[in-house]
Amino acid sequence: MDNKEIKGAIDQITVPKEKVFNAIDKGLQKSEQTRNMKKKILVSSVAVAALLGMTVASGFFNPTMNKVLAKAPLIGGIFHEFDDSIGMELANQDAVTNLNQSLTKNGVTVKLTSTYFDGNVVSITGFVDKSVEKGENEKGEVSFDVNFEHNKGDNDPWLNGKSTDIKKVEQGYNFQWKMDYPYKTIKEDEFTLPITIHYINGIKGEWKFNIPIQQEKTSTISIMKQKEYPEDDVQIRIKEIDTAKASSSLIYETVQKYKDDDIYIQKAVDDQGKVYRFGNGTMIEEMVQENRYRSTVRSELTKLNKNVSSLTFYPMLSVADPNVQQLLNEKTFTLNSERFNLGLQVNEITKKGNELVIDYQFTGLSKKLSEHELELFGNNLQYNLLLVDKDYIDSINSENPVPPKNHSISINKVKTIDKKTAHFQSTFNLDGEEKIMDFTLENTILQFNFSSFFPAKELQPFTVELPVDNK
Amino acid sequence: MELGNDKLVKKAIKGNKKAFEQLIKLYYDRIYRTAYLYVQNEEDALDVVQDATYQAYISIRSLKQPEYFMTWFTRIVIRCAGHILKRRKNVVPLTEETLSKLSESSQSDHDEAMHLLDAIGELKENYRIAIILFYYYDYSIKTISEMMEIPEGTVKTYLSRGKASLRKSYKEEGDKCHG
Repeated sequence: MDNKEIKGAIDQITVPKEKVFNAIDKGLQKSEQTRNMKKKILVSSVAVAALLGMTVASGFFNPTMNKVLAKAPLIGGIFHEFDDSIGMELANQDAVTNLNQSLTKNGVTVKLTSTYFDGNVVSITGFVDKSVEKGENEKGEVSFDVNFEHNKGDNDPWLNGKSTDIKKVEQGYNFQWKMDYPYKTIKEDEFTLPITIHYINGIKGEWKFNIPIQQEKTSTISIMKQKEYPEDDVQIRIKEIDTAKASSSLIYETVQKYKDDDIYIQKAVDDQGKVYRFGNGTMIEEMVQENRYRSTVRSELTKLNKNVSSLTFYPMLSVADPNVQQLLNEKTFTLNSERFNLGLQVNEITKKGNELVIDYQFTGLSKKLSEHELELFGNNLQYNLLLVDKDYIDSINSENPVPPKNHSISINKVKTIDKKTAHFQSTFNLDGEEKIMDFTLENTILQFNFSSFFPAKELQPFTVELPVDNK
Repeated sequence: MELGNDKLVKKAIKGNKKAFEQLIKLYYDRIYRTAYLYVQNEEDALDVVQDATYQAYISIRSLKQPEYFMTWFTRIVIRCAGHILKRRKNVVPLTEETLSKLSESSQSDHDEAMHLLDAIGELKENYRIAIILFYYYDYSIKTISEMMEIPEGTVKTYLSRGKASLRKSYKEEGDKCHG
């Protein structure tokens, strides 16, 4: 018995593709409903809560957690519930601020129990009593519509990267919010963070709190080391590492020619072989200088060990190829990628009743596509060809490229004509859910983007020496 | 992470629903089969797919490392399947009925495969997860240890015990039918 056999056996399970796709669509619809109802994705259930814990733990797994926990005072318990290693470590060091603020509105009591601010992580824990179950959510779900610092709706920097964990307890639910500190300078003095919870599970509040937040001065290692990648037209500058009581944060700057390129650091390894993982990062400054986009990012990382003399960073670059497009007044043409040596050659365009069929093949592929790549192409092509009325192409906002309704079609059915020559056919339904009013070929543009066919590339790792006094 | 998808994952993390949909649909068969291995009937497996899609979509912002998308999603599938099993309160191993349903579509020359599936279905839950993740998903011992939140040594133990009991029941099953 080997893995082939096991795989073979599992592959015998027949997959009802249509039904599975239906189930996926339903799952997405459900999330859409929840979203519309509360405008924000803040829903969490016990299952998700447990998962969130896993995600964080995988990045910041702390093998000494049990030891820490054994010593942790009572407050540490809540962090253990949420698998929060930073919280446990801080509780152990007595660096968590206990809160005891409680408010009852419309029969629902919210109590805030603790807060900490370490590195760039702000955590707030609390409790909401079980009368929230009267709300419109399913049992086990607690969804907050909340804003910080009197911001409104989604326009609140504290909500970027905020995560919520919920845990059912006897008389209600414990929760933890974790936020990335959103501003460039970390205030050294204590400040007050106003919190307004508008709704919980659809039950109107408002519950308003002001909580004190403070971070003791962190130690800073200034590095200022730069690495250039001329071939890809990007640079990375490691600026500083701040180390707080239980976590560190890295501040780095990226300089790039293409605005939408995404440069990120996958991991770092110190001279003793310890691996450091990074959070998503918060953009703290952004500017354009000499036709280059510069952004400064602060990202959480595993707490930096003492006595580390060097760190090797492993950056990744996800290349964004600009859109290419062509008016369909011509029957055959080739769209060429600006940054990859790849083209899309359109052989034929036919309109049959309510359907438009585009026949095309890729040029410049260095090798035959593997089965997996073929599958990927087939899948991605369904979404990567956009037909749009030429009068509306400029109405697409590059920051948030939503195809204009009634003037564009963004999905098609893909048929593989010949694997060897990467030859495909896309059929657009001109009279489906998405349509182009008064469709004519002469007024329609085909837009294509090659980016999704290329994996992010690993940039050459580089090492920075840390000052010896990092002790 | 597999070819070219990290970009999609990054988009999905930023809230791009289409990218998310694209990703999930790319792996629909793997996702469905994983669910099926747990719940062992089509209806529940579809429920798991729906539920997992929902859970994943609302919490994708918490995914910190794009390259772990699939491991992260697989865990959600496993959890959702676990919930359904709990709801049913009877964790049934593959039954005659499911087996016969399976064989309908794949006929007798797949007997061997059926026995193996049956045997996997009968494994203890932890062994089953480890075996599926290792043999079907090709994850490394290290990744599995992170996913299951257990030490690497324990993963190895689960795998070898799982394999041993598979071998045993697989053999018995085979003997029964052939002899």
